[in-house]
Amino acid sequence: MTDTRLMHTVGVRALEWLWAHRDGFRLEPDVDPEVGFLERFKPVGELALICRVLFREGVAGSRQADLARRLLDHTWRNTLDGGRMLVRGQRVEPLSPIPFEVYLPYKELGYSEPEVERATVLYHRLDSWAALELDPTRRLGLSAFQRRFGLVPRVPEADSVGSTWLGQTPEPWTVSGHIAYDVTHTVFHLTDWGEHPEGLPPDIADYLATWLPVWIDDWLDLERWDLLGELLVVDACLPRPTLDERAWRGFAAAQQPDGAMPAVRTMPEGEPDEVFDIVYHPTLVAAFASMLATSRALAELTHATE
Amino acid sequence: MEQSGTSALLQGAVQDLASDVVSALRGGDHLRMSGTGAVDEIEGSLDLAAVRVLGADLLLPHVLFPSPPDPAALAVFRKTVETFPPRADAAPTVKWSHWAMSRTLRRFDTPLSGAPGAPGASFEDEAAEPDAGWLDEATWQALTHQLAVLAPLAVPAEDCAVVRAARRRPVDVARGFVRAVRRRDWQQAAGAGRWLTLLDGVPDTLGLEAGLDFVELMGGNDPRVALQVQAARVMRTAGALV
Repeated sequence: MTDTRLMHTVGVRALEWLWAHRDGFRLEPDVDPEVGFLERFKPVGELALICRVLFREGVAGSRQADLARRLLDHTWRNTLDGGRMLVRGQRVEPLSPIPFEVYLPYKELGYSEPEVERATVLYHRLDSWAALELDPTRRLGLSAFQRRFGLVPRVPEADSVGSTWLGQTPEPWTVSGHIAYDVTHTVFHLTDWGEHPEGLPPDIADYLATWLPVWIDDWLDLERWDLLGELLVVDACLPRPTLDERAWRGFAAAQQPDGAMPAVRTMPEGEPDEVFDIVYHPTLVAAFASMLATSRALAELTHATE
Repeated sequence: MEQSGTSALLQGAVQDLASDVVSALRGGDHLRMSGTGAVDEIEGSLDLAAVRVLGADLLLPHVLFPSPPDPAALAVFRKTVETFPPRADAAPTVKWSHWAMSRTLRRFDTPLSGAPGAPGASFEDEAAEPDAGWLDEATWQALTHQLAVLAPLAVPAEDCAVVRAARRRPVDVARGFVRAVRRRDWQQAAGAGRWLTLLDGVPDTLGLEAGLDFVELMGGNDPRVALQVQAARVMRTAGALV
């Protein structure tokens, strides 16, 4: 098993980079509303999700907890304008799940914008929202978020699992990068982003225990750090995580001194905003994987000494 | 340049031999391999080297469809075993490959006068199996690679230390199969798939049968790949268990 300090340090450094580059979390309010005002919401929502994991797992030091809280405050107040940008997003595109999905983790962390909630409850009544042709993993995620919000998902989560790629436990040698991302997100949704590892049905947990090591081995050698990070999260969601030492060593070695994690192979070059848009996600994933793996390693330590 | 030219010639010779074996496996030809003519012409060291590369699989059709090999083919096979004895410091796969060829010779009841295991052989101990401990310590990646190199040992009713090592780790070999397919290493995938056909405890979710067909579809133009896939197919059809 990997040295816990190595895994922990990856997250510490990632959070420093995210804080230093917090202005990269930006919307484009002036973009033509028809062209995709909602496009730039995703990074903000992912940041909030990861910060929530950090508080939940409780393995971060006081410096990391402080940075996470300040990142949330910064993005809520500045990027989202205290939630008004989410309201605006819902008006631009009423049926898009994106503003709701970004809002939920903030709400769970104590932020509030009543108008987003009113709209969400209204849209939930619409047949149209339930009928949206989302792909199965996305549908699973939306249903999970609705449950966490306090609504009864109109498409039950159990109904979506069987339609996902992972839910059908297919031939593991057919996995491609795109499929692998579907797999990781199916696991995130089934476990509420690592909070409930027991949320993985036993057949899926067995399937992943058997084949995940192959995929980790492969994407490590391909130096696809973004996907490798997500696969390391999946490992930490399993009943018996491997916390694979070779993978973690390679992952940690790919991280830059300032904490940035390249998406593929090495750091890209370009304007700061362009670089941010490429590396913010793998860096968030690095923080996520680090916190979850550290938490699992410490839990095993606790069990071992009991 | 000459070196690479020789290497290309050797590869070509190996491919020709493998094609003959594939034809025999597909046709279930009991009496003679379609390539007996080619085997008749084997005289040069290059051709013997090609037989050495293909190893015990040269006579695989006669193992899977029990039948005496053509005497000429058997003679070449024997000559190859005699010409390329492994050095004491050879890699374990080289020693095992040689052991597999010697074993195949014994199977057809024509022990070499001076060969391992033959009465009066100078090194009777060589009939004993080489050490296979390195496989137990190998990672699943390395295990699969080594087993694929030793695919000629994956035959029904074979019982040796390499087979026992494979039997102990069906999930690891299955992982190696997935890894090889992902990396487009069709030869390794085909060799691993052949082993898996003989092992108990392979996860159902692997989808081995379709996986081998996929390997053949993608890499079957290489007769060495086709040989492994066809060998697996014959063994599966026969319901053979190690």
